[in-house]
Amino acid sequence: MEMFEDAVDVLKKNLEDAILEFRVPKPRKAYVLLKPERHRDAISLLLKQVENAELSTITGTDLGNEIELNYHMACGGTITIKSRVPREKPVIRTITDILPGANLYEREVFDLLGVIFEGHPNLQRLMLPENWPQGDYPLRRDWKPHANQENSFVSEETSQTETEDLKDAGSIINVIVGPQHPVLHEPEMFSFKVDGETVVDVEVRLGYVHRGIEKAAERMMYFQNVYLVERICGICNAAHTTCFCQAVEDIGNIDTPPRALYLRTIIHELNRVHSHLLLLGVAGHLLGFEALFQHVWRDREPVMDIVERITGNRLMSGFNTIGGVRRDIDPNTIEKTLKTVKEVRKRTTFYKKVFEEDPTLRLRTEGVGVLSRSDALKFCVVGPVARGSGIAMDVRKDDPYAAYEEIPFNVVSYKECDTWARLMVRAEEVLESLDILDYALSHLPSGRLRVRVQRKIPEGEAVSRVEAPRGELIHYIKSDGTAYPYRVKVRAPTLANLMAFPDAIRGAFIADIPSVIGSLDPCFSCTDRMAFLDTKNGQKWHWSLDDVNNSKNRKALI
Amino acid sequence: MALDLIFLVRTLVFPGFIFLLVLVLFFDWFERKVAARFQNRMGPSYAGPFGILQPIADYIKLFSKEDITPKQTNKLLFVAAPILAFSFFVFALFYIPIDGSNVILNSSFEGDLLLVLLLVTLANFGIFLSGWASLNPYSGIGATRVLTQFLGYDIPLILLAIGPAFLAKSLSIVNITASQSIPFVLLIPWSCALFIIVLQAELEKDPFDIPHAETEIVGGYETEYSGRKLAFIKLSEDFQFLIGAALVTVLFLGGSNGPVLFGMPEIWHIFWFIVKTLGVVFVLEYVGNVAARLRIDQVVHGNWKLLIPLSVLSLALTIGIEPLLRSVIG
Repeated sequence: MEMFEDAVDVLKKNLEDAILEFRVPKPRKAYVLLKPERHRDAISLLLKQVENAELSTITGTDLGNEIELNYHMACGGTITIKSRVPREKPVIRTITDILPGANLYEREVFDLLGVIFEGHPNLQRLMLPENWPQGDYPLRRDWKPHANQENSFVSEETSQTETEDLKDAGSIINVIVGPQHPVLHEPEMFSFKVDGETVVDVEVRLGYVHRGIEKAAERMMYFQNVYLVERICGICNAAHTTCFCQAVEDIGNIDTPPRALYLRTIIHELNRVHSHLLLLGVAGHLLGFEALFQHVWRDREPVMDIVERITGNRLMSGFNTIGGVRRDIDPNTIEKTLKTVKEVRKRTTFYKKVFEEDPTLRLRTEGVGVLSRSDALKFCVVGPVARGSGIAMDVRKDDPYAAYEEIPFNVVSYKECDTWARLMVRAEEVLESLDILDYALSHLPSGRLRVRVQRKIPEGEAVSRVEAPRGELIHYIKSDGTAYPYRVKVRAPTLANLMAFPDAIRGAFIADIPSVIGSLDPCFSCTDRMAFLDTKNGQKWHWSLDDVNNSKNRKALI
Repeated sequence: MALDLIFLVRTLVFPGFIFLLVLVLFFDWFERKVAARFQNRMGPSYAGPFGILQPIADYIKLFSKEDITPKQTNKLLFVAAPILAFSFFVFALFYIPIDGSNVILNSSFEGDLLLVLLLVTLANFGIFLSGWASLNPYSGIGATRVLTQFLGYDIPLILLAIGPAFLAKSLSIVNITASQSIPFVLLIPWSCALFIIVLQAELEKDPFDIPHAETEIVGGYETEYSGRKLAFIKLSEDFQFLIGAALVTVLFLGGSNGPVLFGMPEIWHIFWFIVKTLGVVFVLEYVGNVAARLRIDQVVHGNWKLLIPLSVLSLALTIGIEPLLRSVIG
């Protein structure tokens, strides 16, 4: 917390001449509007002054005449550095040379809002298909899906593999993992260049599960949007709703009752427990340890039952709402939950021991997919991936929300920086989460469940962060005083962690691909949420094996 | 004429082709059921009592599926390789004395142990070719992995198989089985344990199921196969599994030897053979279910640096204490 105040002081002192506006409306949330082109100074200053400072994301907002770029810097709290560019000539200097982790975020803003980042090493589309019409930026306010959308597409047959550097050369062959592949539970494409069994390089292509949620959110009312953001991701749905509701409550100055905050914490932690157990099971599956996979998933089931008992649903809880939560928890359920927590703790302790001691598991995970601490900071990774690289960052501790300020728990971190460390972080975090559940259930305050909230939310903006199972999740909401949000921006943890993947996998073996991808716990439906595509255009990339085999014949079928 | 009839019946019906097919399907079911129980699953449950007909149902399904041959493959190899592998395995199984003698009577000869090992090796090349002919990156990697892994396990496998042959003073499987009044596993248990581990690699079971590691390279060498040809590949895998388990039975567990309680001795021979082999399958599945999949480099390193020296040591030890053992055998 002191970290945040120091950072604010440093900014105020050193950039006095550049600051146009400085607001700290809530503890640990600062908004700084800077003169054009001064954002680089502010960011490099923060990186220098604050230990473990990272860029959470970049939000682009179309203000009509100008496009506002918000650089959300995580340093204890969130300092949002704002810089505006004219809409007619949206050009701004890149920050990728200061912070390589900004790469994907800048590409995303370029893709969806058409802002050009000068000096970016690879300013290409991130989410939209390559043949999306030029000059069509879906997140600009005046953009509408046109009727003749289909015809305006560039009809040339372009393909990902057509690019020169993806063609087979000598002993190096390309192995395409995805969009459909057993290692991926969601469609995404990784193109690996492989020499024998060694991975030389990898290219990641996102965007196969676009649902245009950010655009859709602008056309729905706030309370409807709670259910929309819940559907960004099934497994961490409580994280998304908590984050969204917090942001709206922040703008509307709504005081959420303490009992609701505790209940949110409980459901959020249950989410984390079953998400981490799911991943540990999947890790077993990816490493060819089927028995471990089946057993972990069996023991995950009681947690799902508890979620169902509390919220009425196994997965999509529909539990949070703006101003509180929708259902109460009765004493019987508390008792049952405590019993399950005990049971799950016993099993998780055992699995942790398995991951610690099993020789074949250690052979496959130790020293594999190494992501050093400095690289992790450079690429701005979050969550268990960062904690596996020795960075003890956790939004629950750094920027406490819901009931975390009152609940004691430890931030788990490992210094090994490899796949094993990332898995161990998750195993141990499950145990911490179970302790949190224990505490929250036995210290549940009484009182109201929620406060009534008006449909219209006053003008304002808010950044909200939560620690989703996969890492820091950030929502940014801008309100123009109506019942509909002006802009909703979501950055899911996977997008932050994906940047680090090529670095972690280079030089590894083909056999390590699944375990390294798995240890990042990618959730692509979270990652691909922002572009707007109609169903026809949604299905862009098809692969036939002719394409893969024959470099002359490679083309994507449309 | 009478001789020919016996020959035909033994080759085609019992204990030849049809009997082996039924046996293989039964072992397939047993393996799946055991693996499922290890993993806290039900396993096959619906087709027939305890799901015992599930393998047959699966093969019927495969045979009725569309059989696709991708355009760019080498058609001849693509079709021939699975059949080749399958026939090699069946041929090898004909030399395993299931009811006390070979499938083809009196075909046993001094050195048929080596022939069986050779046939298994050749069949593995058939599997390699099936992947290579597919012209698919996953199949290609799977096929090279078959060969790389083969480089690792084949030498220790043969070295370890020599142990029992040395004790029996014969390279004929029938003779090796016949001389086990005390099963060799009691005399040279270390050799048997090593043999089972190496066999795990030969059978592509965890922790050595690298050539078709589904989370890495989808289906490995069988990615492109479908329908009847896939059925042949699956069948050859099942046959390979039976051969592997049967080799442990005949080399270390005394094959079809066992007490004859009443009635025809042949029935009891078959009974003991199947019971012992099922025991071996259980052990193989157990090993396969308590380990994660290793990496190909780890397997090759492990085999050359660990298993080959160990097999040589085991063989040396067997030869060294052979006089002592012989006095035990009597």
